[in-house]
Order: sequence, then C-alpha cells, then structure tokens
Amino acid sequence: MARSPARRLGKPIASVIAVLLLWQFGLPHTNIPTYVLPLPTAIAVRLDQTFGALIGNLGVTASTTLLGLALALVIGVLLALAVIFVPAVNAVLVPVLAAFNGIPKIAIAPLFIIWFGLGLESKILLAFLLALFPIFVNALSGLVEIEADVFDLARLAGGTTMRIFLKVRLMNALPFIVDGLKVGFPLALVGSIVGEFIGGNRGIGHLILSGQFNLDTPLVFAALLLISLFTTAGIALISLFEKRFLGWRPSRRQR
Amino acid sequence: MSDSTVEPRQPAPAVAAPTALVELSSVRKVFDDLIAIDGISFQVTDNEFVSIVGPSGCGKSTLLRMLAGLIAPSSGAIRLRGRPLQGPARDVGMVFQSPVLLPWRTALENVLFVAEMRGERRRTYRSRALDLLRLAGLAGFENRMPYELSGGMQQRVAICRALLLNPSIILMDEPFGALDIITRERMGFELQNIWSASRSTVLFVTHSITEAALLSDRILVMSARPGRLVEVVRVDLPRPRERRTLSSPRFVEIAAHVSETIAGGWVE
Repeated sequence: MARSPARRLGKPIASVIAVLLLWQFGLPHTNIPTYVLPLPTAIAVRLDQTFGALIGNLGVTASTTLLGLALALVIGVLLALAVIFVPAVNAVLVPVLAAFNGIPKIAIAPLFIIWFGLGLESKILLAFLLALFPIFVNALSGLVEIEADVFDLARLAGGTTMRIFLKVRLMNALPFIVDGLKVGFPLALVGSIVGEFIGGNRGIGHLILSGQFNLDTPLVFAALLLISLFTTAGIALISLFEKRFLGWRPSRRQR
Repeated sequence: MSDSTVEPRQPAPAVAAPTALVELSSVRKVFDDLIAIDGISFQVTDNEFVSIVGPSGCGKSTLLRMLAGLIAPSSGAIRLRGRPLQGPARDVGMVFQSPVLLPWRTALENVLFVAEMRGERRRTYRSRALDLLRLAGLAGFENRMPYELSGGMQQRVAICRALLLNPSIILMDEPFGALDIITRERMGFELQNIWSASRSTVLFVTHSITEAALLSDRILVMSARPGRLVEVVRVDLPRPRERRTLSSPRFVEIAAHVSETIAGGWVE
C-alpha cells in the first residue's frame, strides 16, 4: 500500500515544527547571544527583508552549479567512454586521474581564481571539477559492470560494437550515472560556493561571507535555508527521473 | 583472416555425402596445462535433439562455447553446414544457465533483443516474438519486466529469444540448472513442445540423466579430465514423450545405462 504524500511527510514536518518551537521559546532562557544563534522569527524577518537579494544571488549560484554539473556529466561520460574504447587512454589517463583525485580539489580553488578570473567562469569550473570524479567513476562502472553472457549473446546475434554500446552498455550505465549525479550535485554546489568565498561579488557564498563580516547571523541562516531548499529540489528532480525512467532498478521496484 | 596466401579451391567431392548440420572432428581444447577436451568427434543432423551429459568438469560448457564460435579449438575442426566455423556463429541460438535478461526490458523486448542486435527492425519480428511467447505459455506476460517473472518464466523468455531468429541450431548450457525440481520437470515437457513445434536442432548440456533421456534423440556421454566422448546412446522412445514415459521400462533401462556409463568414465 503506497502511503499518501501527506501522511508520509506528516512526521518530519511535525518534528521540524517541534524543533522550531523549542528553539524560539527555549533560546531566551539560555545565555547564548543572538549573534551566535538568532531566533527563528529573526531569521524569518531577515529572509523577508533581503528576499530579493537572496533570490538573485541564489540564481547566480544555481546557474554556476548546474552549468558545472552539466559540464561534469558530459566530460565524465566521455572520459569513461574513452577509457573503455581507447586502450591507450586507459593506460595513461586512469593513473593520472587517480593521482589528481588525491589533491583536495578545494585547495585548487585559489589557482582557479588566478587562472579564470573573478567572474562566473572560475565558479563553473570549480563546480565541474568537484562533480567530475563521482560522475566519471560511476559512468565507468555502469559501462563495464555487465555479465559476460550478455556480450556473448549480443555477438552471436550479430551485434556490432555500436549496437552493443547503445542498447546494452549505455542502458546499463544510466542508473549508475544518475547515482553519480546525486553525489556530484551537492559537490558542484560546494565548488560554486567556495569559488564565491574566495573571489567575486556575486552569489549566495558571497552573501554568506558578507553576513559573517557584519555579524549578520540571521542573513547567514536565511541564505543557508534557501540553499538547502535548492539542493533538496535538485535531488527531488533526479529522484523523479529515476522513478519515471528507471523503475526497473531493484531499489525502485514497486511490489 | 586477411591472409594473402590463396589456396587452390578444393574440388567438390564426387559423391555429395549428406552434410551434417554440425560436425566436430578430433576437436581438442587445452587451457594452459589443462586438457579440457581431448579429441572429440561427432555429428548432429537437422531437427535432432542431442544431449551432452557427463560429470562436472568434463568440458561440456567449453564444448558448447566452441560450437558457438565464442572460443576456438586448440586443434581439430568444427563445421557448421560443412563450413568451418570462424568467430561467433551467427546462425546459432544460445540459452545459458541463467536467463541473462536485460532488466530494463520487458519480456517481449528481451525476446526482440537479438533481432535488434542483428540490425533488424523490431516490427519485423514482433509477431513472431509474440507467437513464441504464446507457445512458451507466456501469453499475458509479454509486457512484464523480468523481475516480475518467476525463474522458470524468465528461462522460457530466454528460450524464445534463442528461437527468434530461426537459428539452425540452439545451444543450451544447463538451461534448467538453476530451477527447482518441479519447475524443472515441467520445463522439460515445455521444451519438447517448443522444439517439436519449431522444428529446430538442439544441443543440450545437462547434469540430469532423466532430462537427457526424456528429451533426446541421442545422448553423448562424456568423461571428465580430459573430456572425452565415452559413448553415444540412442534414445528410441516414441514421441511425444509424456509423464508416463518416465516410468516405462525402456526409459528406465536407458537412464540406468547412461548412469552406469558416466560412473564408468568417472572411475577411469
């Protein structure tokens, strides 16, 4: 029996409300200063006051994140294909990528600002860099984790490399790539925000940083709230795609 | 092979012998130091149902993979309709021990998979695929996903898929090995129906002597390490064979004989 969304969401919503009430009415009894932890109502007021600026900056961060993610999707899948079909790439690229993956990618961020400037390009490329590896690794697994019997079957029927690629490998890789996107999406967001922390004057990261400078803690909280709503919406969209097109996945089957 | 040496064509034999569908002559397969198959020769003619039985490790699966052209023999020759086999045989249907269905395709789409691999349109083979599924008792399940089907149903889909392109020969590698004993018995009778309706040639690898004796025209008994052909048993039971065939004296006699032959090959 599928439970209705209202019933499924009932308990989480109730607990969030409980926490907010405890926060609102419990906080005044402690001696935590409001610049450390503002009241929920103060955050709501600040959210309302700065809503235009918040949405505008969220839009900037969202665009750089999604562009970086899209780039990571294309390049990640292409790299996985190159690894499979070009043996030389497999021999040379994979060790290099593994070594490169050892560098904490956030540490490269300042270099990216120097190379690509204070504009949106450096943020897009940082988002891309962080999302690339999970997508690449997942795509690679999805393209090769196939029973050998399937290939025998396809070859006996006269399957060409191209047909086998389109109808077996790619289809098999799809859920893996979606998993890569689920991991890569929040990472791309980290890339964008770190880029905004380091340089530039736009984006939700920039707003959070100015909130820190001015001890405007309610603004920081309001920004965090919006950014987490954005992430949730993104993940929900990916899940919707899974449910619609990948219903055969063991984890998605409805019995 | 793009070898440039051109050999003079062999003159056609004066008397055309009836060409066997499949012909193995002194086929040998060696993996590193292990002799998997040691000089096997036999022929299979059109519409024949031939089983290969023998103890584990006698190279039955290796033999089948060679017949499919998936691996090459170390020496000896395999001919399909008189022509030496080179590379994956396109005129062969294959059924494995597991169904090997693509989980994102429905039963019908899985049957049509081989047509798509051959570069044919789905539409051309759709009605044949539906007929085969109906013949296999899967009417009403055409649009189910593999995970919605039982193990026996999945294996029947795999058999339909092997039959779709009308191959000269169907190779079955312990196709019912993963099924429970009751389903397995029923599948045997189902296979007999499908086989007699489609008039195909089947080479059937099995561990089950009962299955082999029930389904086959001939049983090839193999010995283990190295895999050799010990005896060919002709099964002269009338067709169609039914459940009561299993208790007929002739059936029991044949099964006992095969069993003893395998045991003899084992001791040796």
